[in-house]
Amino acid sequence: MASSSRTRILEAAYACVARAGLTRTTVEDAAREAGVSRATVYRWFPGGRDDLLRQVIAWETARFFLRLADAVDGITDFAEMLEEALVFAHAAVLDHEVLQRVLATEPGRLVPTLTVESDRIRSAIVEFLVPRLAAAPGRRPDVDTREACDHIARLLLSWIGAPGRWDLTDRARVRALVREELLAGILDP
Amino acid sequence: MTVVDLRESPPRERVVGATVRCIARWGLAKTTVDDVAREAGVGRATLYRLFPGGRDALLDAVVAAETAALLSRIRAGVAAASSLEDVLVCCVLEGGAVLIGHEALRYLLAHEPESVLPYLAFDRLDGLLRRVCETGGPLLAPWLGPGDDAARTAEWVARIVLSYALAPSPSFDLRDPESVRRLVRTYVLPGLAVGALSARSCT
Repeated sequence: MASSSRTRILEAAYACVARAGLTRTTVEDAAREAGVSRATVYRWFPGGRDDLLRQVIAWETARFFLRLADAVDGITDFAEMLEEALVFAHAAVLDHEVLQRVLATEPGRLVPTLTVESDRIRSAIVEFLVPRLAAAPGRRPDVDTREACDHIARLLLSWIGAPGRWDLTDRARVRALVREELLAGILDP
Repeated sequence: MTVVDLRESPPRERVVGATVRCIARWGLAKTTVDDVAREAGVGRATLYRLFPGGRDALLDAVVAAETAALLSRIRAGVAAASSLEDVLVCCVLEGGAVLIGHEALRYLLAHEPESVLPYLAFDRLDGLLRRVCETGGPLLAPWLGPGDDAARTAEWVARIVLSYALAPSPSFDLRDPESVRRLVRTYVLPGLAVGALSARSCT
């Protein structure tokens, strides 16, 4: 019950951000959208507006990566799972209208919070990857599984945010990328 | 790691060095053209003659000067290197030293992250990576195999530097040459060997 009213406020605040952006979303807006009082918002987000906006970014970021985890969960081959993750996440970033709009208009408000969040997301990705890499055949004997997963997570996040020279819609290119730049030191080819 | 600190140096360089010191002390938002002029020991009029664009031109000049200084350190390191491994270790160490050790950058990351981080993410990171490919690619090319793409390797190394510098890891410390060597040996060199191999088998 308690956590659901927090979620309701987050959903409402997210709808406000989608409509008006981060700078123009206030505690009043979120309260009205959620159908609760300002006091209720402050009870869940004692830091007020900044706290609320930070939590909204964290919440949507977590949801984004949960969708990603769902999309690749059933793939047993470790390399193929990473390929699918890159293709899926790249498309999802481009299709994420709210993210793209806020990035274009208010990057200074979004990116610092996203950077802090990405540390937490990286830990979650590592937890997701560790058992899967541990079960993967062909692991190089000197590889530390957790360290390797952290390295993989760092590069995944880098490519998802900025593909650089890579066309992440081209599966053959993504296959080369994963095998050469992600896994060459970790799994035998 | 100030760019220029000599009283004797040309006024332009003195002003650029003074800008870095002001930002390291007060941040970007609070640094004014007057602060920089005072710190550099030049008049306001002189400063505007040197940098007609004012504050923005000054900041562009700082970025250009720091980039040039980084590149010349990397060039010197690469010239002294005797293997691809040494070349990559040098690039990672020098890149890491700027991102972690630069006094002005450190202040901004701690106190005004909104002024720096947007340049290191999403579309703007793509722009930065493009410039890394253009300048870093030709530096790496002589050391790589015929099947390896030098620009691509430069981009790859830049991503690794950015990640480990901005989000420190318990496994690898970019300020420690031995740690960087292990990073390069474990995760980068094997990929290059495969890159060369797969490129050859394709042609």
